[in-house]
Amino acid sequence: MRSLRREPALLLALLAVIALVLAFIVYPQLQVVLTPGPGGYVEFLQEGTWLVPLRNSLQLTLLSTATAVLLGFIYAYAMVYSNMRWKPFFRLIGILPLLSPPFVVAAAYTLLFGARGVISYGVFGQSPNIYGLNGVWGVQTIAFFPFAYQLIADALSRSDPRMEQAARNLGAGSWRVFWSVTLPLSRPGLGAAILTTAIYILEDFGNPQLIGGVFYVLPTQAYSLISSFGEYTSAAAVSTILLLLALGLYLAKVRLDGGRSFVTISGRASSMPRPPVSPGVSRACFVACLGLAGVILLVYGSLVVSALTLRFPNNLQFTTEHFQYVLSGTNGDALRNTLIFSGVAAAVSAVFALFAGWLVQRGQWPGRRALDLLLILPAAIPGIFFGLGYLVAFNQKWLDFVDRGWLIIIAFIFWNIPVGYQAAVAGLRQIDRSIDEAATSLGASSLRGFREVVLPMLGGSLRVAFITTFVRAVTTLSLVIFLFTPPTTVATIRIYQLVGDLNWGAATAYTVSDIGMAIIALLIFAVLARGRIALGAARA
Amino acid sequence: MTPELDRRRFLMLAGATAIVAACGGASTAPSAAPSASAAGTAKATGRISIYSALNESTNNQLFAAFTKATGVDVSALPLAAAGDLQTKITAEKNNPQADIFVGGSSEFHDPLGKQGLLEAYQSPLAKDVAAQFKEATGLWTGWYTGIFGFISNTSRLNADIGGKKPATWDDLLEPAWKGKLILPDPIKTGGGYIFIATQIFRFNRNETQAMDYMKKLHVNILSYGPTSPGVITSISNGEAAGAPNWSHDILTEKAKDPTRIDLTVPKDTGFEVGAVSIVKGGKNLPGAKAFVDWVLTKEAGDLNVKLSNRGSVRKDVSPAPGSPTLDQVSLVNYDRQWATDNKTRIQKLWQTTVGIQ
Repeated sequence: MRSLRREPALLLALLAVIALVLAFIVYPQLQVVLTPGPGGYVEFLQEGTWLVPLRNSLQLTLLSTATAVLLGFIYAYAMVYSNMRWKPFFRLIGILPLLSPPFVVAAAYTLLFGARGVISYGVFGQSPNIYGLNGVWGVQTIAFFPFAYQLIADALSRSDPRMEQAARNLGAGSWRVFWSVTLPLSRPGLGAAILTTAIYILEDFGNPQLIGGVFYVLPTQAYSLISSFGEYTSAAAVSTILLLLALGLYLAKVRLDGGRSFVTISGRASSMPRPPVSPGVSRACFVACLGLAGVILLVYGSLVVSALTLRFPNNLQFTTEHFQYVLSGTNGDALRNTLIFSGVAAAVSAVFALFAGWLVQRGQWPGRRALDLLLILPAAIPGIFFGLGYLVAFNQKWLDFVDRGWLIIIAFIFWNIPVGYQAAVAGLRQIDRSIDEAATSLGASSLRGFREVVLPMLGGSLRVAFITTFVRAVTTLSLVIFLFTPPTTVATIRIYQLVGDLNWGAATAYTVSDIGMAIIALLIFAVLARGRIALGAARA
Repeated sequence: MTPELDRRRFLMLAGATAIVAACGGASTAPSAAPSASAAGTAKATGRISIYSALNESTNNQLFAAFTKATGVDVSALPLAAAGDLQTKITAEKNNPQADIFVGGSSEFHDPLGKQGLLEAYQSPLAKDVAAQFKEATGLWTGWYTGIFGFISNTSRLNADIGGKKPATWDDLLEPAWKGKLILPDPIKTGGGYIFIATQIFRFNRNETQAMDYMKKLHVNILSYGPTSPGVITSISNGEAAGAPNWSHDILTEKAKDPTRIDLTVPKDTGFEVGAVSIVKGGKNLPGAKAFVDWVLTKEAGDLNVKLSNRGSVRKDVSPAPGSPTLDQVSLVNYDRQWATDNKTRIQKLWQTTVGIQ
């Protein structure tokens, strides 16, 4: 990237990005952070009700991140390196846990594995108490490993097979190659995966709320204060604690990264195939993925069964009434809103995140560390507060002419930037600077270099950004709960209303429709992009 | 190697989606066409925006009946958690979007009134409402009541407890209930906290005795449920034998399968007053007043009782079949203000007492 002074267009683009980040991340969030006021913070801190949730949050984040990243790494390794069968199937399964509208999926776990669970009690005759740390740890591991898997797979697929081949030729066994070449080279992706997964787990409220029992964590504390007791001020103070924790995680990651280089893509293209892994490893990968897929399919399968039966799990008589309900009257409108809002947000968010990632990673301008942090911060803001901030900031008379749908779309875009941004930064660290510098040396502007050289090479990151933004937008409840209006109701709001009404059949039918619609949309997206944007992780 | 992305195709797609969205956005724009009215100036017309904490099934029919009776259209924003709506109204104070806040216990309306976010209105029909069910200056008016009761799973009650339903809250301390109770979480749910507050009032505000009770009860509790309605589902599925919960919600669940669960109301229980209030600065004050007037009619009371199994503040509205009424059951002297003011302290006390750290 050339200096900003020599390229006014680039300077303008940078200023635009900064302005957008200030307007749609910093300004709305300040509304929430400043709510309690100094006196409010002092009073809240003295009450001390945050101590236990804080300790629990830290413990849960540590445990769940460790297992989710481990699982994500195994899954990514299997997808990128092994020769196992059924990869397209596993790719799709790897997306499913991301498609979990709150309440319903977590509740499905208790229906399957709880005290009177279909599996635990019905099959094994056991009445385990899954409420508490262990239950929520297990569910979070499955719910969040896909984030780690997507980011790690992106990094692994970009590693240079020639380095591994070279190690092989020098006599290293596959174990040794893994530990001394594969693993170190995937460090940027791994770092990004750990940071993002940890922040998302820290911020997650749905699973601890339904399965955590009396293992209270900060997001459930904040959420309960608002929903059950209308105590917005104390809740905002809890949200600030979460932000500070995320800031700590971020600083820890920056320290760990150091200033090393992880360049694996240099000027010359490589068409060398990856050295094959042994059939035994492939088989082990297959078995591990199959086991995980089994659990995931069981949970989502139970949703389908419950959507098609009268009163799951007590009355298993077949019925289509729940789906008829979803399609009746104006019930379907919310599905259409979800599709439109999420699609637009995902496309814009993906491109924006990559562009911002490029500006930060390649630029030399002062203050880019701050922008780096601000682009990761939204992940640490519980959706309910991100939405609240938007409501306070943008519910103004002079903005009344703007359709409220746009507010939801913009919130989706900026709340979901972190994954795409992390993917882009991790990707760029593996691509040699000399490649984009070659373009500018040949006379192209930096922006043209980004468009025609960098962007095409970051296809994997773009895909990760698009998919995660899309599925998170499709499944978020907390973000829209304060932003929706009757005409801009989305699917998760309808599900929430149905769950509150104890209409479990219709709620699951709605959930299945929502998830099904999202999968179909992603498949169409993949086909339209001529199959180049495959679902899930990169191909081996 | 690197899976390449066709950039033009991607941008085309993004553009196309944006266009579709723009069209979709246009078609979803609210059409706030006021219904034609040639009547006098005082007559309410147009459309009102209602934030409702009532059940989904109640909303649709109740608001349709209101529109039929008055000619005022309703745009309803339903969220069953009243705290969400209270927070939303607070956050929207610079540019209020609601005309009416309906449903939810008066605890959720009262703070809004104190912050000056509600419009005081003394409906002509409110004069028949007992003083304990309304705010004196008309900031909010109670129109329905809910009683805290006990849900039991019939087959588990017969198999594990010997078929004996609790007549008093103390009965739940019997060893037969060990590990067979679910309580709505006192930290996460309003219902769970009302349960603790009820115990404190039952022991004449002797907190030591109340906490002693909660400690003994803790031994019998299998789990603390994350939402009050969710606990009803759990009992219906037989996860545990019984749970304290809202009578009206228990009756609604019972209607789906009358043999599976049952309702009892133990002695010395608590109750809630469901309120309606007018949001200050709304766009249709006459329409909002018309709604408050209508919701206090016998017609609205009857309909709400039929749809939600709750009680009415009107004496001439008969209760739902099988539903307890405030004059039949034995109530504690529930001090709402005290319960609200001491909430954080009591919750902490409870956590320390039962050892949830």
